[in-house]
Amino acid sequence: MESVAHSIGLSAVMTWTLLKVLIVFGSVMGVSSLWTWVERRGSAMLQDRIGPNRALLFGRWQLLGLPQLVADGLKFFFKEDQVPPHVTKRLYWIAPMLAFVPALIGFAVIPFGRSFSYQGALYHLSILEPGNGMGMLYPLAIGAVAVYGILVAAWSSNNKWAILGGMRASAQMVSYEISMGLAVLAIFMKVGGYDPGEIITEQAGVLWKVLPNWFIFRQPLGFLVFFVCMFAETNRLPFDFAEGESEIVAGFHTEFGSMKFALLALAEYAHMTTASALIATVYFGGWSVPFMPEAPVLLTILFFLIKLLFFMWVFVWVRWTLPRFRYDQLMFLGWKVLLPISMVNLIGNAWWMTRGGH
Amino acid sequence: MGVIVKKVELTWLDRSYVWPVFKGMAITFRHFLKQITTPTSKRFTIQYPDMKKAMPPGYRGLHELKRFEDGAIKCVACFMCQEACPARCISIEAEEFSELNFTQGFEEKRPSSFKIDMLRCIFCGMCEEACPKDAIWLRNEYELAAYDRLSLNFGKWDLINTYATVDGKARLAQSQESPATPSRPTNSGHQADPA
Repeated sequence: MESVAHSIGLSAVMTWTLLKVLIVFGSVMGVSSLWTWVERRGSAMLQDRIGPNRALLFGRWQLLGLPQLVADGLKFFFKEDQVPPHVTKRLYWIAPMLAFVPALIGFAVIPFGRSFSYQGALYHLSILEPGNGMGMLYPLAIGAVAVYGILVAAWSSNNKWAILGGMRASAQMVSYEISMGLAVLAIFMKVGGYDPGEIITEQAGVLWKVLPNWFIFRQPLGFLVFFVCMFAETNRLPFDFAEGESEIVAGFHTEFGSMKFALLALAEYAHMTTASALIATVYFGGWSVPFMPEAPVLLTILFFLIKLLFFMWVFVWVRWTLPRFRYDQLMFLGWKVLLPISMVNLIGNAWWMTRGGH
Repeated sequence: MGVIVKKVELTWLDRSYVWPVFKGMAITFRHFLKQITTPTSKRFTIQYPDMKKAMPPGYRGLHELKRFEDGAIKCVACFMCQEACPARCISIEAEEFSELNFTQGFEEKRPSSFKIDMLRCIFCGMCEEACPKDAIWLRNEYELAAYDRLSLNFGKWDLINTYATVDGKARLAQSQESPATPSRPTNSGHQADPA
């Protein structure tokens, strides 16, 4: 590490951080774009269809339809970057980045493997070192900022359908954030801190001798609320109110084309990645391997990846199973069902803790 | 007369919305597993240019003008099909011919031209039903596309050959000599005889 750092003229800490940034952002981007393929082929399989398989690599290799990714990417790059005359130019240019960047940087505090020491130095496998004082508050705050991406995109489009979509999406995201926050609060209370590392170590061990000591088994109600809120936060079905082909055309990204549209679409998948990582960290023990307290580092990374990809698959799976909600049903669910449940969960857990339970 | 609408009483489990979601996801996942383990050739989707649907025997596709084993056309130019055709897409011109042979019997009339305008044809099969000689069939070919209108105006030789390669027969061309068959001695021999 030292010699590599020296050869590129950076300190060892900077090099390690740079490496982590490259790995994490590369993986998140890769998984997000790969998931556009999983979404299309997976949905096809769920619905007894075949899915896209006509794009061929060099006119020869079908590769299960994977060249479709390349074809789509190339198409977006080579399309004319049309800016409609009626948009607010500055915001219109910023909006896709505003949507994409929060989705990507929310991942920064999430540890994706066990910390390990090498030649006397301790290395942590998360971009921001643990104990930075932000902990889980950071991804939640960044998730709140993600509203602006959609809202700015909608507002700058200067289009009634876009504004309607943006309004609906922002109202939805803001209302579900409360229940989500309350659900995670119960976890913070139990752990006694909000650092993801602490949350993961709290989940080590065995529950009732048969289950891993994960928070999903200890707070199933909180998990349910958090999980549903994650769907609302990422604007995925059954809560995809930012779009709506029958009512508001393509919603907030009606006026966007070429790479701007691709960024907005990819932001959704990056959001999914981050949300899956959050679910895995908070309720499924993050990188910890069940029944293996001293798992090797590579195995912990593998387990984190498996959990992450599983929840990303659940996002796709749910999307192609459930019908959409109506808007009033969404608000009903958010304010009158999930909020009381999360409150009951919080107070119940607090009461249980005062009685000495854990 | 009223319709009695039966109201479904939902159990608390169904009203919770959580359990039905799991049930629905189980259903879609079952479909997923089934579809992903089925080989492509056995899936519901027929991937058209690579695979083709085998049409049922009664399918009314592209016409064929049937011919005898020696290649002679079965059609006797009786105009029944032309009369029966609701789309008026068949146009026949008849001719007399004297070179009779055994397989064909002793008909003295055949089409000199037999045209079907495939752009007009509605593939109703009336011509097939009207034909007294079983000479026109609608068979299973359905890929009828061309770059210009004229090439969908099928003539007699096109119609004879539509299924030739499929049936393993030789394609006939107008310029081609008709295949050697035991021909009946014609009257021309008498006329040539000076006696």
